[in-house]
Amino acid sequence: MIEIRLNGQRVKVEEGVSVLDASRFYGVHIPTLCFLEGLSPYGGCRLCLVEIGKPGQSKLVTSCTYKVEEGLVVRTQSERVIKRRQMLLELYLATCPSSKIIQDLASKHHVTQVRFQPRHEDCILCGLCVRMCKEQMQGKAINFAHRGTERAVCTPFDKKSEECRLCGGCMYVCPACQARCQGPGAEEAICNACLNLPQPCLEHFDNAMCYMDPCVACELESKREHDVKGGKKA
Amino acid sequence: MQKLVSGAELNALQHKLQEGIDPNRPRLILCGDTGCRVCGSAEVEAALKESLEKWDLADKIEYKSTGCLGFCEKAPLLLIFPGAFFYQKVQPGDAPEIVEQTIRQGKVIERLLYTDPEDGSKISCAYDIPFYKYQNRMLLESSWHTDPLDIYDYLARGGYGALAMVLDTMEPQAVIDTLKEARLRGRGGAGFSTGLKWELCRAAKDEEKYIICNADEGDPGAFMDRSLLEGNPHAILEGMLIAGFAVGAKEGILYIRAEYPTAVAKIEEAICQARALGLLGNQILGTEFDFEIVISKGAGAFVCGEETSLIRAAEGGVGEPQQKPPYPAQKGYKGKPTVINNVETIANVAPLLKQGAVSYRAAGTAGSGGTKIFCLVGKSNNAGLIEVSFGTPLVDVIYGIGGGIKKGRRFKAVQTGGPSGGCLPASMLDLRIDFEEFAQAGSIIGSGGMIVMDEDTCIVDMARYFLDFLKHESCGKCFSCRVGIDRMLEILQKITLGLARESDLDLLEELAVTVREISLCGLGQTAPNQVLSSLRYFREEYLAHIRDRKCPASVCEALFHAPCQNSCPAGVDVPVYIAQISLEQYYEAYETIREKNPFPVVCGRVCHHPCESRCRREQIDEPLAIRMLKRFAGDYAAGLLAQGLARQLRAVPGGKKVAIIGAGPAGLTAAFYLCKKGYRVTVFEALPVAGGMLAVGIPAYRLPKEALNADVEAIKQDGVEIKTGLALGRDFTLQELKEQQYAAIYLAMGAHKSMPLGIPGEELKGVIPALALLKEINLGRDPGIKDKVVVVIGGGNAAVDAARSALRYGAKEVHLLYRRRKAEMPALEEEIGDALAEGVNLQCLVSPLSILGKNGSAEALQCMRIKPGGFEQDGRRKPLPEPGTEFVLPADIVVTAVGQSPDTGGTLEGSSVQTGANGTVSACPRSFNTDEAGVFAGGDCVSGPATVIEAIAQGRKGAAAIDRYLGGDGILRGDAETAEREFHREIIETPAAREIQVKLPLQERANNFAEVELPYETAAALREAARCLRCDVKTLAADDEDDDSDYCPPTDASRTFV
Repeated sequence: MIEIRLNGQRVKVEEGVSVLDASRFYGVHIPTLCFLEGLSPYGGCRLCLVEIGKPGQSKLVTSCTYKVEEGLVVRTQSERVIKRRQMLLELYLATCPSSKIIQDLASKHHVTQVRFQPRHEDCILCGLCVRMCKEQMQGKAINFAHRGTERAVCTPFDKKSEECRLCGGCMYVCPACQARCQGPGAEEAICNACLNLPQPCLEHFDNAMCYMDPCVACELESKREHDVKGGKKA
Repeated sequence: MQKLVSGAELNALQHKLQEGIDPNRPRLILCGDTGCRVCGSAEVEAALKESLEKWDLADKIEYKSTGCLGFCEKAPLLLIFPGAFFYQKVQPGDAPEIVEQTIRQGKVIERLLYTDPEDGSKISCAYDIPFYKYQNRMLLESSWHTDPLDIYDYLARGGYGALAMVLDTMEPQAVIDTLKEARLRGRGGAGFSTGLKWELCRAAKDEEKYIICNADEGDPGAFMDRSLLEGNPHAILEGMLIAGFAVGAKEGILYIRAEYPTAVAKIEEAICQARALGLLGNQILGTEFDFEIVISKGAGAFVCGEETSLIRAAEGGVGEPQQKPPYPAQKGYKGKPTVINNVETIANVAPLLKQGAVSYRAAGTAGSGGTKIFCLVGKSNNAGLIEVSFGTPLVDVIYGIGGGIKKGRRFKAVQTGGPSGGCLPASMLDLRIDFEEFAQAGSIIGSGGMIVMDEDTCIVDMARYFLDFLKHESCGKCFSCRVGIDRMLEILQKITLGLARESDLDLLEELAVTVREISLCGLGQTAPNQVLSSLRYFREEYLAHIRDRKCPASVCEALFHAPCQNSCPAGVDVPVYIAQISLEQYYEAYETIREKNPFPVVCGRVCHHPCESRCRREQIDEPLAIRMLKRFAGDYAAGLLAQGLARQLRAVPGGKKVAIIGAGPAGLTAAFYLCKKGYRVTVFEALPVAGGMLAVGIPAYRLPKEALNADVEAIKQDGVEIKTGLALGRDFTLQELKEQQYAAIYLAMGAHKSMPLGIPGEELKGVIPALALLKEINLGRDPGIKDKVVVVIGGGNAAVDAARSALRYGAKEVHLLYRRRKAEMPALEEEIGDALAEGVNLQCLVSPLSILGKNGSAEALQCMRIKPGGFEQDGRRKPLPEPGTEFVLPADIVVTAVGQSPDTGGTLEGSSVQTGANGTVSACPRSFNTDEAGVFAGGDCVSGPATVIEAIAQGRKGAAAIDRYLGGDGILRGDAETAEREFHREIIETPAAREIQVKLPLQERANNFAEVELPYETAAALREAARCLRCDVKTLAADDEDDDSDYCPPTDASRTFV
C-alpha cells in the first residue's frame, strides 16, 4: 500500500493501480468515455484528465493510464481540470451532437454552448470497439487505420472480415453511434437539445437503417412539411 | 582490411595516415550534397575531372566530393585548399579555367568569388565570408575535409580517437560525468541533459540495454540530421559506440527515414567499413566491449520523431506515443532500458570527449554548452546549413549569417522549431540562442529549422499551413490533438476567408491552451505553439483579417482583389484603372483613381508606391510602373479639365456644415468625400496656398505647382470651399467654429515643425530647418543661399529635397551628411541617385557634434566619423562614434532635416482635444475621434510624419467616420464593388521589360526647377499597361488550387444548450 493525496486527503491505495481506479475506489467521480471496466485503459478520449503534482509544477494527465506513485498529489476537480474538460466536452458535442452519452456528460458538466460548427460524425475513435473485439470477444477483426484526421476504425484493408463473427459487441459499447437520443418520452431525463439541431439521419445515414424507432427528428420534419402543405391549401 | 585489436594499433594507424597528408598539396573540395547536386554539381564534377586529366593532374591533387558545405544559397560550391578559396555558383564551363588558373597558377578567378553585399568587394577566403565568419562550425567543419565514404579519411583526422580513449582510459561513469560537466543537452528539441539521460539508463537494472539514434527528421525545411549523416557518418557511429559503452548497451539502432536514401546508403557503407576494421562487433579494440548497430527505416510519419512512437515503430508496431512514465531510459525498446538521442546530440559526443568538457562548454551559455546547427531557409539572403554557439544573439544569425532579407524587404518574423515551434517578431531578435530564452518567448529551438519570413508572409496563413501539416501528421489517438488541431484549423480558415468574428480569437486561444495541456505526447502539446505565439506577437494581423477583412501581406486570396490594390494604403483599384488605360479610357481611369484618392496627378509624381513592390509581375521580369501610369491618366484628365472639356459631377451642397482644418492631402481628401456625400465643407488653411506639405514641402522639380493645382482645382470644382491664410488658434478657435454651426470638425494640420538636432550652435544664424528652407523656396522667396556652402544633415526625403533644391538655387557646394550607411537612408533610392548625379556630395557614416560660429553666424560644422557596429533589431548597424576622427567641415548654411512633428502648441487651447508625444493629436485609430465630441483628427498631425498616400487614406477614413457621426451610413463613393473583373485582352506572361523612365538631361536641370521626370508617351503607357497580369481576375483554375475549397462557410455555429 502506498499513500497518495487525493483532492487534499491522504489516502492509502494499492501499488500499481491507476489514478482512476484509486479515485473511484474512494468514491471520487471522474468522467470517462473510452474507459470500460474489463478492457485495458487506452487514454484516447482525454476526458478522465486530472491534475497531478504540486501547484506551479502541476500537469494534466489521463487518470486511466497514469499509475499511482508514493506521495502523488492528485486533484480531480481543480479549476484547470474543469475548464479543460468543458472545452473537451464542447468539442465532443460539436463532433457528435446527437449522442446521448455525450449530451448527458455535457449537461452534467455544465457545458451550455457549442461554438464550433456541428459535424455529426458517428465515431469519436475512443477505441472501445477495437478493445472489445480484441480483448473480450477474441475477435481481432477491427483496428485503427491511417493517422491524423483520416484515422478510422475498420477491418483490414476495409474488406469484409472473416474474423468478424457479427457478435455486435462493438456496437454495444459505442458511445457515439449506438445510443442516440430517444427524444422526449424516454425513460431517463434528457436535455432535449438535439431537437434544435438539423436532422442527422437525413444528412448522414441516407437510406440506412435508423436506430431510432420512432425517430423524433424525422417525425418532426414530416409534421412540419405536413403543416406547410396544409397551410398552402388553406 | 586488418582488424584493429587495440587502441595503440588504432593510434598507430591514425599517425601513419596523418603523415601521408601533405598540407601543401592542392585539394579540390566539391560539395556533393543534395542542394548542390540539384544545381548541377555532378556535371561540374565530371568537367573538373576531365580538365584534371587533360593537364595530367589527377594524381597530383586531392579531389573530394563531400557532404554539405553549408552555403546552399550559392550552390554549387567549390573549395580549394590551401588558401580556402571559395568559389560559388560553379558551372561545368568554369572547370577548365579553375584547373588552369587556380590550380596550376594559383590565381583567383574573380567572377566566381563571393561578393560582399555591404561594399561590393570580392572575398576569396571562405573564412572571411560573413556567412561563415559569424558561425562556430565545430561539427560541420569536418565535412569540409572528410570524404564521407572513406573511413581512412575520418581516421586520418583523429576519427575514432575518442572511442579508443574512452575504452582504454575511462570508466563509463566518467564519460557520463564529462557529458554532464560539458552541459550537453539533447538537440532534438526538448533539450534534456544527455548525461543525465545516460545516467538514468545506466542505473536501470537490466542486462539488456539499447541505444537508439533518432534520425527521423520530419520538420518542413529542416535537413541538419541528413547533412550530418551524409557528411560525416562515422562521427555518428563513433558517438553511438561511446553511448553504448557508457550505458552498458550492446546494440544500437539507427532509426532513419526511408525518404533519406542517400543517407541510408552512406551509413550502411560506413557500418561495413567500421565492422571490417573491427570498430563494430565483438571485443572492440581488444576490450570486452561488444557493440552492433542496425538500421531501422521509418516509413515517413512525423509523429515517429517522438521517442515513444519511434520505439514502437522500431519494434514493428504502429507509431503511436505511450504514456510517460515509464521513460525509455527505464523501459523502452523491447521493454528494456533505452537511450534515445538525436543525430546531432550523438554527433557532439566524440568531439566533446576529445576536447574535454571545459573547452567544449567555453562556447555556449550557463545552461547549455556547445553549438547548435540550424537550417536557415525562407526569405533570408543566405539560405543554408549553419552552426552557431549557444548564446549567439538571433539578430546576428538573421542579419550577420543570413545577410538580411531578400530584395531589401522588411523582416517580419522568424519561425523556429518547425511545426512544433513558434514565430518570433523583430522585437524579439535580441534573444540569444538558448533553450530557456526561446521557450519563454513562446517558441522552441526544436531540432533546428529556422524559417525567415518577410512582410509578404501572412502570419495567419502560416499558422494555417503548419496546422494543416499537423492535422495529417498527428497519430490521431488523442481526441484533443486530432480534433483540436482540426478545429483550430477550421477557425483559422474562417479567418483567412474573412468569415470570423472577434470572439473566434478567444475561442482559438482557449482551444489552443486545451490542446497544449491535455494531449499525450510532444506533438500534441506543441501543436498550438504556432497559433499561440502568433497570437501573442501578431494579434493585430489577426484582427485586421477579422475587423477590416484585410490581409496586410496580400496572401489570403479571399480578402483582396490584387496585391497592388491591397498594399495601397488608400486601396486604389490599380488593376481596374490600368485596364482602363489599356482600353484607352483615360478619363475613366482618372475617375477610378479618384474613387479612393482625389490626388491622381500628385500621387502620379510623388507617391512612394508600395503597390509596385508587391506587383506579381516581379516574378516574371519587373514590377509594373504603376505610379507612372497613374500620372499618365492624371495628366490626361488634368489637360481636359484645364480646357473645360471634362464634366465634373458637382454634388449639391445643402447638408450639414463641416469644417476641415488644414488643406493638405488628408484635409482635402476628407473634404472631397464629405462633399460627395452632400455636406457643406469649408477648409481652413493657415498658409497662403492650398496643398499643405505638398505645396511647401516638396520642391517643384518633383511636383510642379501646376500639377498640384490640377488636383486642388478638381476638388474645388466638386464643391469644396478653401479659405487660405486662416490659422487655428491665431485667427479662430474650435469653439468659434462650433458657434458657427459647424456640425463636425476635422483636424488635419500636418506636421510642419522641424525637430532640433540637439547639438550646440543650433541658435546661430544660417542654421535652418529643411522644411523652412523648402517653404521659402516654394513660396517664391529668396532663401539666401546663393554661392554659399550648404551642409544638409539627415537621410530622409526632406534632406535630399533640401540638398537638391539648394543646388538649384545656386549654392556653391552641397554636402549631405548621414550617420549610417547609404543603403540605410530612409529617402527613396531613386531620389538619392538623382541627387548624386546632380552633384550633391553625400557623406555617410558622419555625425555632427556642434555648429561653430563667428559673430553669431554659422561658419563650420564639427563632425565625427561613425563606425557601423553590431546589428540592431531592424537589421541596421548600430552607429558607433569613433573618437579621434573629429574633423571640421566649413559651412555657411546648415540645414537640419532630422524629423518633423505637428505644431499644435497652443492651437487647441480651450478645447478638450488632447495631444500626445511630439505634439501629435490624440485620436482613436479606428474612429478618428478626439476627446472632444464632434472633433476628429487624421493625417500627419495624428500619426507624425508619414507619406502622402497614407494621409489620403486617413482623410478618406476620417470622412467616413464623420459621416457616421452625423447620422450617415459611412459608405463613401467608391466603397461599393462595381468593377467588372474580367480579362478583356490576352495576358502577356512572356518577359516584357518595364518601360524606361525618361528624365530631363542633367545639364537642363541645373539652376532651374523644371520637372525632372518626363511623362510616358501614349504608346509607352499602353505598352506598360498591357504588362498587367490582372491578378484581380480570379479564374476558376485558381479556385481549384485553393485547398480551402472543401470548406463550407458556417451558418450559425453558436447554439445554446440549456
